[in-house]
Amino acid sequence: MSDDPLAELSDVARTYGGVAVLEEVSLAVRPGVTAVIGPNGSGKSTLLGVLAGAVEPTDGRARYAGPDVDRPIGYLPQRVPFREEFSARETLAFYARLAGGDPDEALERVGLSDAAHRRVGALSGGMRRLLGIAQATVGDPPLVVLDEPTSGLDPGMRRRAFRTAADASGADTAVVVSSHDLDLADEHADRVVVLDRGHVAAAGPRERLCTEHGVDDVAGLYRAVVAGAGVGRVSGDADRDEPSAVHVTGVSDR
Amino acid sequence: MTGPGAVTGPGAVRARAGAVATVFRRELATVLRTPGYGVLAVGLFAILGGTLAVGGGGSTGFVPAVVDLLLVTEVVVPLVAFVVGYRALLTDAGSGELAVIRTYPVGVGGYVAGVVLARALAFLAIVVVPYALIGGIVWATAAPDTGIFATHSGVDSPLLYLRFLGLIGPFGAAYLSVATAVSAVASSRRGAVAIAVLALVAGVLGGDLAILRSLASGTSPSAIPGLLASTPNGAFRGLVFETVVGVTFAPAGGFVDVGRAVGSLLAWIAGGVAVSTATLAYGDRLDVLLEGVRARFVE
Repeated sequence: MSDDPLAELSDVARTYGGVAVLEEVSLAVRPGVTAVIGPNGSGKSTLLGVLAGAVEPTDGRARYAGPDVDRPIGYLPQRVPFREEFSARETLAFYARLAGGDPDEALERVGLSDAAHRRVGALSGGMRRLLGIAQATVGDPPLVVLDEPTSGLDPGMRRRAFRTAADASGADTAVVVSSHDLDLADEHADRVVVLDRGHVAAAGPRERLCTEHGVDDVAGLYRAVVAGAGVGRVSGDADRDEPSAVHVTGVSDR
Repeated sequence: MTGPGAVTGPGAVRARAGAVATVFRRELATVLRTPGYGVLAVGLFAILGGTLAVGGGGSTGFVPAVVDLLLVTEVVVPLVAFVVGYRALLTDAGSGELAVIRTYPVGVGGYVAGVVLARALAFLAIVVVPYALIGGIVWATAAPDTGIFATHSGVDSPLLYLRFLGLIGPFGAAYLSVATAVSAVASSRRGAVAIAVLALVAGVLGGDLAILRSLASGTSPSAIPGLLASTPNGAFRGLVFETVVGVTFAPAGGFVDVGRAVGSLLAWIAGGVAVSTATLAYGDRLDVLLEGVRARFVE
């Protein structure tokens, strides 16, 4: 697996209405799975939007550093945005015509072949997310950015969506996933970025970060870096009992 | 995000044309699955038929029918253009799908071109079919012999009606282009409706009222043909008088500056497309600029 970065962020900042959502974020995205974790409102969606080119930073620079291909970056926003009147296959066929690729193969890759002719509006939330993941990988982009692909799904579908996302990574392909599913991040992520209040609180290979913080897994890392830095910000005991589900009241993701 | 430079050459041109065609097909498929547009065409036919029946011009020939339909056309064609276009670019921008599409090898210009061309084709189908049916009715029912082609002044002819239809195309395209620009600028469906209504009223009434006001403030009446050409409605009306209605009576002419009127319609079309493209291409950067200004102001 090459260790050269496929994308770099240098001192990236983003404000909305004068409110800072990201501040001085510098990152290098390398091949493999990178999980971006953090409380609601920590700037995960904005960070992923900047990486995907969907959000313009107010300061700093985002740079794609991978190979020169037709589609360098694949992107799935937090809200799956496809037109509801089209079938799953028609949706992927549109994207496959733009970037090259086989829509049937893309559907098969995410296990949606049987739902190929079902309207997007008639797909379940999980199936839509899988369709979104299939779209993000059309044309085999070296960098795939997935914003909470497991959000709102049942445990089985969450696992399937995360595994499908992780499968898209490879020796020369990076998958960046934001998620609240710390167990799944622990299972699949090669690297972890912990965001807290718009800043990178920790970033690096998962095992190294866990060792440095003296914890066993990503949930422990989260508690050590974020919850430990601001006791009381995590919403109560329930979250401490079940570290794989992290929720914070207050500002929503932008 | 910055990245490798754009590929150039014949292959790149083919790829860009293919991307426009792909966006065009998708947009056209969306329009074809919207039953409301069929209803719109039927409603337009009913309005035109009713106008013709009340005016009575249709029973005497094509040019009288055009005279009857002209005022209604100046209102309903812009209305149809706005209905077809006011959400053209807002749909993808509002749902977030535009951010996804922009990760594919299709430029903003290509995307706008594909959407606008598909909407223009839909608009033409919605408008031309009812007008063609009305022309057929006039052909079948008009009392004088309308089956000859006009070769000189004073003769009614289906060719004159075809000219009228031909002028509706660029007139409607000018409004469709403005409607598309509205869909690019608006941030919500409700906002798009509000801006569209304002633009429609300003376009249909505003131009003429502005000319009247300028005349009242001392502008020479000889400037009217030039002033009239500057708005889509004035340009269309002037061209209809110049090339359809005026042909059948005195060789007077001079209703409008023809060259300026044609140029005006083309400029409205190009202007709307340019605003749409610039909004999608640079809207985010403008937002960032405003954030910077806000930050300095707060400091």
